[in-house]
Amino acid sequence: MRTIDTQTALWMAVTFILFPVLALLGITMRTVQAGGLEAMAGWFYPLMTLHGVGMVGVWYVAAMGCAASVLARHVAPSPLIGRIALAGTVIGVLMLLACVLLGRFAAGWYFLYPLPLHGEWPLWSAVLFLASLTVLGATWLVWSLDLLRAIAARFTLAQALGWHYLRGQTEPVLPPSLLIVTVSLIAGIAALVSAVIVIVLFALELLTGTSSDALLMKNLTFFFGHTLVNLSMYLGVALAYEILPDYAGRPWKTNPVVVVSWNTVLAIVLLAYLHHLYMDFAQPGGLQYLGQVASYASALPAAIVTIFGALLLVYRATMRWNLASILLFAGLAGWAIGGIGAVIDSTISANTRLHNTLWVPAHFHTYMLAGLVFLIAGYFAHLARPAATADASPRRDRTIALLLVGGAYGFFAMFYLAGAWSIPRRFAAYPAELAHGATTAGIAAAFATLFLAGFLYYALDTVRQWRTATRTD
Amino acid sequence: MRNAAARIALLLAAVTHGAATADTASGQVLFQQKCAACHTIGEGDRIGPDLHDVGARRERAWLMRFVTDPQAMIAAGDPVAVRLYERYNRIVMPNLALDDTQASALLAHIDEVSRQHPASVAVGVATAPMPAPALRSPQSAILYGFIAATLLIVTVFVWVARSTRDPATVDTHRAYALRRVLFMAGLVCAITVLALTLPRTPYVQAATTPDRVIHVTARQFEFLFSDVAVDSTGDLLNVATSDRITVAADTLVEFRVTALDVNHGFGVYGVDRQLLAQTQAMPGYVNRVRVHFREPGHYPVLCLEYCAAGHHLMRAGITVE
Repeated sequence: MRTIDTQTALWMAVTFILFPVLALLGITMRTVQAGGLEAMAGWFYPLMTLHGVGMVGVWYVAAMGCAASVLARHVAPSPLIGRIALAGTVIGVLMLLACVLLGRFAAGWYFLYPLPLHGEWPLWSAVLFLASLTVLGATWLVWSLDLLRAIAARFTLAQALGWHYLRGQTEPVLPPSLLIVTVSLIAGIAALVSAVIVIVLFALELLTGTSSDALLMKNLTFFFGHTLVNLSMYLGVALAYEILPDYAGRPWKTNPVVVVSWNTVLAIVLLAYLHHLYMDFAQPGGLQYLGQVASYASALPAAIVTIFGALLLVYRATMRWNLASILLFAGLAGWAIGGIGAVIDSTISANTRLHNTLWVPAHFHTYMLAGLVFLIAGYFAHLARPAATADASPRRDRTIALLLVGGAYGFFAMFYLAGAWSIPRRFAAYPAELAHGATTAGIAAAFATLFLAGFLYYALDTVRQWRTATRTD
Repeated sequence: MRNAAARIALLLAAVTHGAATADTASGQVLFQQKCAACHTIGEGDRIGPDLHDVGARRERAWLMRFVTDPQAMIAAGDPVAVRLYERYNRIVMPNLALDDTQASALLAHIDEVSRQHPASVAVGVATAPMPAPALRSPQSAILYGFIAATLLIVTVFVWVARSTRDPATVDTHRAYALRRVLFMAGLVCAITVLALTLPRTPYVQAATTPDRVIHVTARQFEFLFSDVAVDSTGDLLNVATSDRITVAADTLVEFRVTALDVNHGFGVYGVDRQLLAQTQAMPGYVNRVRVHFREPGHYPVLCLEYCAAGHHLMRAGITVE
């Protein structure tokens, strides 16, 4: 195996270990909300924090690991920086575990200022949390810069963004995945710089007592959080661009429309975060309206170019359906469905009825779990199975896919229904008026367990096939 | 660290008849400042226990020790203190820096309120689980619209997946023509929705005048209504506040919402128990949101921005008559 393959295997191991544990925390949370596991009720908010930070982080590094793997087909990322990224991530995760499990830190995954300094947890746990984010942020920043360096070694920035296609040139050939990774990395660096500013301002308050402006901090926090989550999704889409053609037997090439689409995404995604602040009425009105326009504008190219492109690629193709291609195709559908939920929530007049209800986790779980997770799982399945075709089992693939899809969408349905019922998100227990929130939580926990069973089945099978393929090599 | 537990105050209370000489007026102020966010007197548990008649449940000497140094009692393994700590989500009640005189005044106030008012749950707070309400507009329209869009997406994906059973060459020129049509249709649709929805934002229009202005101050873990603005914790000494208000039916109310500590969410639920309006309560800012209360009934207010351990218990009530 080449170095990058070893690193992909390590990122896969990190994902396969951490994701089930974090999913179990999520199931525990829904069970507590349903009135079960009474002994865990006091742990609800610390677990919520660990679940949120962990999931965002795990799928970001999984997406980055896969992106590095895809890039290695075309350019040369540094294996050393790859190892540093893995080591920094592991250290950051250990620090996170310590501050939550030992300090009961519970400010939520986006630690909205100034809550980390005003909770029931000890100050050291808040400091450790911020330190862990510093380690993770610095590590990921270096990693992103190295991947961009690798791209820059072969392409100029204009070429990596595909601008030569707009002038009618097709040389040098730029794979769409490389264009998307470039766009995502640039957006990612902007997000990580924003996170650095937030952490510096927290440190300033801790060291000098100088408090920050709550609205400024909220803008910086959501700029970072929203962009990080979105670019993770885009990296997942890049995987589909890269390997779905292998299964369809048709090319999926860069062309001027694809270039315009993804360059537009880069410009607009940096403004779409504003929809997180609609309910902050003190925010200047122009920015609120800009948030809705940018949210709509960022959805359109994705829907019309990428989703349409994927459907056109598969339509009446000599398609090789197996677990990898099923998950990739289903992942694009999940992205589209979650995107609809997000666009609805990004409408100001709807947001006033949906903001911070369970509609929010409904749509982000849809595009993360049935979108990004499916895409990355499909990519891992693709890597694990090429040398194990003799072991192919359509029935096993269908069983895994059914467990994942059925479990996930049953789980999401309860979120959407509860969101429409105005059940607030992030409530450890529901008041009597909203007791129906507990019923939906219980049903959701059952579906999530089904999904987790499917994921464990998938992960064990993928690891087994990966090992078989490695031995064969 | 000024934390939430900084209000998990006073698992106390006591008040023997001899404490009647204590200064209950200053006790009221102390209770409002240091205890009310986490405790009630006769309206049920909040972050910490309801203190109604606590003087009858605990010895006065124990209460005095607990009020003045609760953390030392937990650290020393006092069985009652430890049990309360475990029962109330392991949230440590902070040391409130009270001297014996202040502690006595506080206990006297709790005793006085306990004597005057029998324990009851807060007005409008349901105690038994209520059945799910019928889904009403606009939430129902949002949900059904989303389901329709989802079914359309699923149908298209399934149709495309099934088409691979009959492989054929695809005319890409026709496909690209279709993409242009879809793009234009999407663009027209997006512009139409923007044109229809942007004028209907919840932001206050200067041209209109509310029938009534109510100030809302949020802090961990309570909402306080008042007729004048509260800019700091110190203002609470001079401003009459309550976590319940009554307004007349068919009244347009403007809430001016702020926070004293962290971000909170001021979420007003309608009589149908679905979200009617909301805005964030932010430290250092005042957000103005207007609600037209048309129907008589109880309108619960819940916190919609996570604010630490007592978040889900943070609530207030609006009665429309």
